[in-house]
Amino acid sequence: MAALTEKTSGKITVRRVKLQGNVERYSWLFMRLSGVAMLVLAVGHMVIQHVLNSSANLTIQFVAVQWSTWGWKTFDILLLWMAIPHGTRGLYTVLADHIHNPGAIKLIRSLLLLFILATVIWATIAIAMFDSAMVP
Amino acid sequence: MSSFILTIREGIRYRGGSGQYSWLAHRLSGLAILFFLVIHVWDTANAFFWPQAYVWSLALFKHPFFGLGEVGVMAAVLYHAFNGARIALFDFKPEWWRHQRISVIITWVLFFIIFIPIAIFMLSGIIGHCQALAQVGDSCFRIPAFSEFAQYAR
Repeated sequence: MAALTEKTSGKITVRRVKLQGNVERYSWLFMRLSGVAMLVLAVGHMVIQHVLNSSANLTIQFVAVQWSTWGWKTFDILLLWMAIPHGTRGLYTVLADHIHNPGAIKLIRSLLLLFILATVIWATIAIAMFDSAMVP
Repeated sequence: MSSFILTIREGIRYRGGSGQYSWLAHRLSGLAILFFLVIHVWDTANAFFWPQAYVWSLALFKHPFFGLGEVGVMAAVLYHAFNGARIALFDFKPEWWRHQRISVIITWVLFFIIFIPIAIFMLSGIIGHCQALAQVGDSCFRIPAFSEFAQYAR
């Protein structure tokens, strides 16, 4: 875990501990912060899109009205950036509980990271570039 | 896979009490949301990249099968949100840990109070949609054909 160097001068031992990366700690913090943000973003999205509006009468024209304003585009992009990494990191936590082969879990880690990047970039392009005038 | 089934089986059999069920429900709801979310995000991106596929999927998702799935996702999101808030709160407030048991009960009660009326509302929406289609001689169980949305081809 840590590279250790000790220097003894007189009675005091100075010990420098060099931590090897903080990915796990920042991941833990990200899960909490994105989770709190999604209490508003995700629950709000569910209530607005799936209760107040409904899938039964959702049309691409309705999407075009919403995505004609940068407010809604920003809301959806923010939710995307929170939800995909949060969910994929959650899947990684579950998988890491069951897969004990270090090589396999390292491979899964890289694949999931690639998946996050591909999904977030692809969907951000879609939302940002969506032009309401294109919809018939 | 066998290890996953083992977790489900032992997760129910293991006498960890209310906290154990919270842990299991949080995992299952999280995985369910992720499964839905991935399909939802790639599908919605088609509104820009492949409008015909998007409009076809909108029609397909009006099927009652997906309607019931939507109610399930609503349940998963609400539970995961409330229980996640509880977890985050306890992570930052160790002095509250002695209230674990009551916090689990509060989470479930809050979940059911909010979810049940929403579920009734959503289910009545599905029934209303099916009735409206039946009145014009159509069926909500009909699977839409991709060619019906050729006007959106690009």
